[in-house]
Amino acid sequence: MKGAQFLVKALEREGVEVIFGYPGGAIMPVYDALIDSKIRHILVRHEQAAALAADGYARASGKVGVCMATSGPGATNLVTGIANAYMDSVPVVAITGQVATNLMGTDAFQEVDIFGITLPVVKHSFLVRTAAELPEIVHEAFRIARSGRPGPVLIDLPKDIANTVAGYEFDANGKGEVTAAPSNESIAYALELLRKSERPVAYVGGGVGMANALAELKTFIETTSIPFVATLKGLGSISTKHELALGMMGMHGMKAANHAVQESDLLICIGARFDDRATGRLNGFAPHAKVIHLDVDAAEIGKLRHAEAPVAGNLRDSLKALACQLNIEPWRRKCLAMKEATQWDYDAPGSQVYAPDFLRRLSERAGENCIVACDVGQHQMWVAQHFHFTNPAQHLTSGGLGTMGFGLPAAIGAQFAFPDATVINVSGDGSIMMNLQEFATLRRYELPVKVVLFDNSALGMVRQWQELFHDRRYSEVDLSDNPDFALVAQSMGLTSFRVDRRQDVDGAIDQLLAARGPVLAHVIIHQEANVWPIVGPGKSNSEMMDEVTL
Amino acid sequence: MNTLKLRMRVRHSEGALVRVLSVTRRRRFDLLHVSADATPDGAFLEVQMTVQAERAGHTLLSQLAKLEDVSEVEILEPAETERDAQVASLGA
Repeated sequence: MKGAQFLVKALEREGVEVIFGYPGGAIMPVYDALIDSKIRHILVRHEQAAALAADGYARASGKVGVCMATSGPGATNLVTGIANAYMDSVPVVAITGQVATNLMGTDAFQEVDIFGITLPVVKHSFLVRTAAELPEIVHEAFRIARSGRPGPVLIDLPKDIANTVAGYEFDANGKGEVTAAPSNESIAYALELLRKSERPVAYVGGGVGMANALAELKTFIETTSIPFVATLKGLGSISTKHELALGMMGMHGMKAANHAVQESDLLICIGARFDDRATGRLNGFAPHAKVIHLDVDAAEIGKLRHAEAPVAGNLRDSLKALACQLNIEPWRRKCLAMKEATQWDYDAPGSQVYAPDFLRRLSERAGENCIVACDVGQHQMWVAQHFHFTNPAQHLTSGGLGTMGFGLPAAIGAQFAFPDATVINVSGDGSIMMNLQEFATLRRYELPVKVVLFDNSALGMVRQWQELFHDRRYSEVDLSDNPDFALVAQSMGLTSFRVDRRQDVDGAIDQLLAARGPVLAHVIIHQEANVWPIVGPGKSNSEMMDEVTL
Repeated sequence: MNTLKLRMRVRHSEGALVRVLSVTRRRRFDLLHVSADATPDGAFLEVQMTVQAERAGHTLLSQLAKLEDVSEVEILEPAETERDAQVASLGA
C-alpha cells in the first residue's frame, strides 16, 4: 500500500465523509487514492473556498472539517481559511501536498514552506517524513483539532512519501482525549463571588457551543436567573428569545446588553475571550465588575482582563458546579426593563428595502432550524442583531479574523453537513466578490443554498466608518460599477431575481424559500444605511452612538 | 519591564523550537537569550530562554504550556508566584 492510500485509509478510520479540495501536481497521489475511497471529494473553484467550506462544515456539524490542496499556491491559498479557523477555534484538518523530499529546500517548482507559513495560525502541524507514520499522524491531527480548545491542524505530505510503498499498522486504542475538570478550589471561590453579587451578568461566548455545554448553560442561567449577553459567536447558545437574553454585546450590541455589563458588579465570562469588538475600550469595560472566567483554555484567563476567580477546565463541569439559586430579583427586573425599553424599531422612512426588517422577516419565515452563513460587514452585524437563533451552530460567522468571502463557502460546507437543511448565505456586494466563483460549486452539486445579497454599491462598513469617524472623507469604498449580480448568478446556473422595493420583500422571501436549487436574491438597499448602535473607536461600551438610518 | 528566565522541555519534533520562538515573538516578549540542548536519547530539547516584556509572565507561560510539543515549562526567575504555578499546571 502507498503512503497516499495510508492517508485515505486513516481519514476513513477517523470517520471523514467529505473533503473539500482542489487537485494539483504534488497532491496527485492522494487524488488517485481517493478514487477507491468512499470519502466524497467536493471540488471547489479556489483553495481558499476549500478551507472555508471545511470550516463551515465543522461549525455546522460539530465534526472535524477536512480540506486539501496541492503544494505552493494551492497551499498558500488555504492560509486565510486556516487562519479563520484558528481565530474562531474551529476543528479543521488541512492536508497539503509538498514537493518530494529530495527537492525540499531547493526552491523547486511549486515549493513553498507551508509548514513555516502557517505556524502562527495552526494549533499544530506535521511534516510527514515516512509513510509508516502517516496513520498515527492523521489520528493525532484529528485528536488535536477537536480536543480542548479546537483549532486547525496542518499535515504537509511530500509527494515521494505519498508514493512510498509500506505496511499499514496502527492501533489507536487507548489514545482518547480528556479535558480537565475545574479544580474544587476555583469552583468554591467562584460560588462565593456569585452568592455575594447583587448585579451579575453572564457573558457567553462561542466556547459554550464548542464544548457541547448548551444544556448546562441553560440550567445555569435558569437556576441562577442571571441575565446574559452574548458575543457574536455566542449567539444562540441559549435561544435569543429567552426571557433573560439581553442580546449581543459590544460594538454593535444591543443597548440593554451593553448597559447591563457596564453596570454589573460580577461578570461571569463563559467561553469568551474579552475580544476588543466585544469590550470596546478595555479599561472602561464593566468597570465595577469582578470577573469569574470559565474557559477550557487557561491561556485565555487573565490574558486581557484580570479574573478574580479563574476557572480553567471543561465548561460542562464548571457550569454544573456553579448552578445555584441567587437572590437578585431587583437586578433581574431592572435588566428586563432595560431590554423592554430598548427593543429594535423596524419602522424606517422611505420605500427602499430596510435590511434589518428584511432579515427579521426572513428569520421568522425560514424557521428555527435554518443555518445562516454570513460574510463580513454591515450585513453580518444586521444578521447578528435581527436573526433569531436557538443554537450557535446555526450562525456561521467569521468572528475573529473577519474574513470577507467566508459566507458562501461556509454555506456550501454546511449544506453538505445537512443536505436537507435550509441554508442561507447573507452577503454584501463587497464580500460576495471575494469567492463569487463558488456559484459554480453550487451549480455542480445542485446545492439549494439561498444567497441573499445586500447591495448598497459600496463597501458599507468602511463607508460607515469614513462617514462617522473620518469626516466623510470617502476613500476607495465606491462599488457603483458592480456587475449585475442577478445576471452573473444566472450565467452560473442559479435562479436569481432582484428586489428593490420594500413592498416586494415578503414575496421575495417566499420565492427564495420555495426555490429547489441554488438561488440568489439581489436586494438593493440605500447606500447610506448604517448599522446602529455603534461604539466608536477608543470608546467604552457606555458610549454607544445611535441615529435613525435612512 | 519584566525580565523572565524560563525553562522548557520540548519534544524534538519538526519546527518545535521555531514554534516556541514564534509564540514568544507574537505575544510581544523580546528574546534576550536562548539555548537548546537535545536530551541524550534525542527525543526532547531542554530549552532555557530569557525574555523581556511589559506583559505579565504568566501570559507567556500559559501560551507556551498549551503547545503540543511543550511537555514542561516553568519560570525560573523571578520565582514563580502562586498564580503562575497554578496557571502552568492547568495549561500543561
